[in-house]
Amino acid sequence: MKKIPILRLGRILLVSIQEDLTDNEAMQFQSDLVNKVAEIEALGVAVDITALDVVDSYMARVINDTASMVRLLGAEVVICGIQPYVAMTLIEMGRDLIGADCAFNLDQGLEMLRERIAHRGDIRFTGDGDE
Amino acid sequence: MPRIGIRDPTRMPMTVSLSQHLQTHRDEILAEWFAKWLPADNSGQPGWASPAQTRHIMQTLFDQILSALTTAPPDQLPDLDEQAPLCVHLRHLAAEQARNPEQATDPLRLLFSLRQLLLRHVTAWDRKSETLSMAEPMLRLDRYFDRIALFAFNSILSLRDRHISEQNLSLMELSTPVLRLWHQILLLPLVGIIDTGRARQIADHLLEAIARHEARVTVIDLTGVPIIDTSVAQHIMKTIDAARLLGSRVVLTGISPEGAQTLTKLGIRFGDVICRASLRAGIAEALMITGKRITAMEDPAHP
Amino acid sequence: MNERRPSVRLAIGNSSDIVTARQAARELSAHLGFGKAHQTRLATAVSELTRNVIQYAGAGSCLIEDLSDPGERMIRITIEDHGPGIPDLTLALQDGFSTSGGLGAGLPGVRRLVDSFHISSNPGLTRIVIAIRKPV
Repeated sequence: MKKIPILRLGRILLVSIQEDLTDNEAMQFQSDLVNKVAEIEALGVAVDITALDVVDSYMARVINDTASMVRLLGAEVVICGIQPYVAMTLIEMGRDLIGADCAFNLDQGLEMLRERIAHRGDIRFTGDGDE
Repeated sequence: MPRIGIRDPTRMPMTVSLSQHLQTHRDEILAEWFAKWLPADNSGQPGWASPAQTRHIMQTLFDQILSALTTAPPDQLPDLDEQAPLCVHLRHLAAEQARNPEQATDPLRLLFSLRQLLLRHVTAWDRKSETLSMAEPMLRLDRYFDRIALFAFNSILSLRDRHISEQNLSLMELSTPVLRLWHQILLLPLVGIIDTGRARQIADHLLEAIARHEARVTVIDLTGVPIIDTSVAQHIMKTIDAARLLGSRVVLTGISPEGAQTLTKLGIRFGDVICRASLRAGIAEALMITGKRITAMEDPAHP
Repeated sequence: MNERRPSVRLAIGNSSDIVTARQAARELSAHLGFGKAHQTRLATAVSELTRNVIQYAGAGSCLIEDLSDPGERMIRITIEDHGPGIPDLTLALQDGFSTSGGLGAGLPGVRRLVDSFHISSNPGLTRIVIAIRKPV
């Protein structure tokens, strides 16, 4: 089974899905990421799916659920690099498949996360986060 | 009675059927047909492949027609179903010629010239027996050609239809330019009637441009759209949603009161969409989002 | 003109078969020169339908056929299972309906992704035939 590497950048986590995943691998990815977020008390998560050329409703659901879980654990989340045709296909199937915030690429996603994290009360109050 | 004579198997070897006759004179007929169709200076028929290829096409056509006539029962016309080799060949021929309006009827002209030639050759047909009717095979040949010609004509028509709808598609592309207004800002002015086909085209076109330019904002101006019907509204909403998935926002401008009603009935979510009354206001908003503004230059001549 | 690709029949039995099926559909559509939009829509539709097979019937098959001719490129995909079938087709084809508690885009979503969509369903045989086409 493929395992997706989760990279750590301070208290931000980076995940890049590089291959078409089976349902089981997608579930594995979800629990790995959620555990990691809790473990390091991450402030932000960027999930890059530039390489995915098929995102069906199941994968969309996994991505969306993962984003909700990460948010419940107190971290900001952004989905990066959805391909234009994938976006159109997802919308064609149903308008609410992905509700998370999105960015063009990892670069802009990180910028977005940093900006949000900088405005968070916990960070401004305790000066946490910039390690 | 002659009719019984045709079906008497013992007498069959004695007679020469029409297709047998034509088969015997195949090379002669073909040579005559080539001479009629191809100019004498070997320059080939205008708009056609090389003379050698044209000859090959004609020869194949001739052989297919003859073999269909030979294999079918004498009292029936050969089948002309979609997959018959003759039909495949004719469709191919029509496809070759359909691009050019001047050549579109060439396959028909080609068939008619062969028919004329074959009917003329019937007069030289020595049946070897008076019991074999001459009129029936001739009529059969004639009717078969009618049907082949009708098939060819239909092939040509459907190819032209397809050609026209392709041209419609490229016209659509021309009529919906996605303009780069500023760094990270795109402008899509929509003009004219938008049907479902065009709406889909526009959506694909725009999303690709957004991804290519990494546009953070797209201004869609609807001033030039007279009617926003349900399907157009739905496509606009889908485009906005898809743009959001890429990481881009949409500013809608120029919506008419009727358009506003249609969009609302469809439950457009105002959280994601910024609407401004005029293109001018929309552009100002887009600049704001990307952190830019337009200001007057300091010019002492105009205090 | 290019020769038609031979048809492929894939068995659908577990979640990795979904990946195989959608990749085969995408590969064929790319090979026949369909645009990215078409490729993505077809592959996604196959993904949805084969997942339905596993979810509702446990196993089934996916037949991928190249039906192109000189004037038109066409791919037809037939997805079959021998499960209990869909009791109310009219209802299943209505937008917003899904029996699996909101999972999956449902049949109406899939129908919007392809150029043609036919379904017949009885206990013991459910067959869905989808196709995409484009002029050459």
